[in-house]
Amino acid sequence: MYLIAEFRDQPKLEKAILALKDTGIGPADLDLFSEEPIEFRRGILDRPSRMSLVAVLGAIVSGGLATTGVYAAQHNYVLITGGMPVFSFWGTGVITYETTLLGSVLATFGWFLWESGLLRKRDKTAPVPLVPPEAMCLRVRCSDTQAARAQQILDASGAIVVERKGAA
Amino acid sequence: MAASAPELLPYAKIREDLFRPLSSGSGTYWLTVLACFSVVVLGAVAWGIQVNSGMGVTGLNRPVFWGFYIVDFVFWIGISHAGTLISAILRLTDAGWRKPVTRAAEAITVFCLMIGGMFPIIHLGRAWLFYWLIPYPNGRLLWPNFRSPLLWDLTAILTYVTGSVIYLYLPLIPDMAQLAEHNVPWRRRLYRILSLGWTGSDREWHALERAMKLMACIILAIAVSVHTVVAWDFAMSIAPMWHSTIFGPYFVVGAIFSGIAALLLVMGTLRRALGLELYLTKHHFNNLSKLLLLMSLLWFYFTFAEYQTVWYGNEPSEMAVFASKIRGPFAPFFWTMVVCNFVVPFILLGIKKLRTIQTAMITSVCVLIGMWLERYLIVAPTLGNPRLTAASGIYLPTWIEFAITAATFSGMIMLYLLFSKLFPIIAVWEFKPHPVEED
Repeated sequence: MYLIAEFRDQPKLEKAILALKDTGIGPADLDLFSEEPIEFRRGILDRPSRMSLVAVLGAIVSGGLATTGVYAAQHNYVLITGGMPVFSFWGTGVITYETTLLGSVLATFGWFLWESGLLRKRDKTAPVPLVPPEAMCLRVRCSDTQAARAQQILDASGAIVVERKGAA
Repeated sequence: MAASAPELLPYAKIREDLFRPLSSGSGTYWLTVLACFSVVVLGAVAWGIQVNSGMGVTGLNRPVFWGFYIVDFVFWIGISHAGTLISAILRLTDAGWRKPVTRAAEAITVFCLMIGGMFPIIHLGRAWLFYWLIPYPNGRLLWPNFRSPLLWDLTAILTYVTGSVIYLYLPLIPDMAQLAEHNVPWRRRLYRILSLGWTGSDREWHALERAMKLMACIILAIAVSVHTVVAWDFAMSIAPMWHSTIFGPYFVVGAIFSGIAALLLVMGTLRRALGLELYLTKHHFNNLSKLLLLMSLLWFYFTFAEYQTVWYGNEPSEMAVFASKIRGPFAPFFWTMVVCNFVVPFILLGIKKLRTIQTAMITSVCVLIGMWLERYLIVAPTLGNPRLTAASGIYLPTWIEFAITAATFSGMIMLYLLFSKLFPIIAVWEFKPHPVEED
């Protein structure tokens, strides 16, 4: 089941998140909806990311594949190079460089879609709150047994409204 | 300054002000779009004639085989640096004043790249064979020459277009999600598809902010490389006044210079046309004007260094090109370029009392003219004065080239006008007051 709590005050929201985490509801069960990015101190609602790593991997794969392709093509054709080496990084380095960066761009975009959940919704039935202007809505996924305690925490932390939605 | 800071306005008003231009369209707006479209059609007709009759209808002839098309290519690719590069620098340095500027700049990049990218194809003559540029194994024994700067251009521009489109698109997603809530049905559908089901969850915001930071870093590396590669189209050939080691950075400086000028011009026009006086303030124009002045000084330094080295070397073939620019047939263009790119910015932007929004726009127009002339002065005099003196010649462009060039300018204005009607030209979500940033 889901609880949706509306907050107007960030310190109160932080207090609620910390208290919920103490009861065993982890960051994976919490989603915060707002009209703008909300910045928290470290340890409140951390979202570890592998985007930088994926960008580097994308760059290596793309640059490596392109360079291999160039190397193979240059060796498969009968070329008259006038004494110059058939394959030279001086000559083809620009292509390696650009395709490396292209790989990085595409990997970053792809990982953004993945990590943000736009590409894969974790739970398609999960309710999405309509966020009023200036408000922050915290969605809590919890079991029936946790729900009462979670609601108590949200009320005590200063949530303006708390709604129960969906099945467990 | 703080009193006029747009961040301090109520968010509802910001939203209303920035979304309003999307739903209202004046007669002047549609008339301008129509006028631009007419010129684009004229350019298309001219290109049709060129395709039908061959390259003989242009002024390109031995020894000048590069003319307006390559000038336009370098010019538009240069302006494309306005956007993504400036936006990326401002984003990475977390400059608070960047917010109303970045999207306008990023859109310039995408449209300029689209326009600039067309020129190598127009220049090919047989445009329908453009895919021969793409390196793939084939049965025609056309081996892909990976050492050709033409192929480097293709790779660089493809990378830059991809990066720029994504860099423009990412921060548009939250705004499109908001627009999908209240709009006419067809727009609602369009925004809903493009916003990919954005809900505004913290996972989405975190991913977006991370992606934007990473993209800003990557795009900086791409932008610098793209114009360096464009410079190498010239510098890799052993032609007089082209074979220069500073051509890469010289082109990058020129590109950023013309890019800032284009951005100032676009911002000034949008400010007036869309009633964005509260958002595009004197503060933004003042900061960008200072940046333009700095780039003007840098451009002058590079130009001086380039010409000084040639003059001191006194190599006959180089001096022939040098003389044709300084006191020969290209002298009027050369000195106009110096006035437009250095004298005007130095006076109008360097003297604080004269630095206003109007003078910034006047300077920008001058800089764009000057930078187009600079590209022309790189291409035409060198090709007209080859090392073999007997082979020298003159390039006289025809109406076909003028029409296609005019069409690209009109096309740019038209694309920008249409974009400003479909998407908010200022990122609305970035305007919400951030207590951390206020500090």
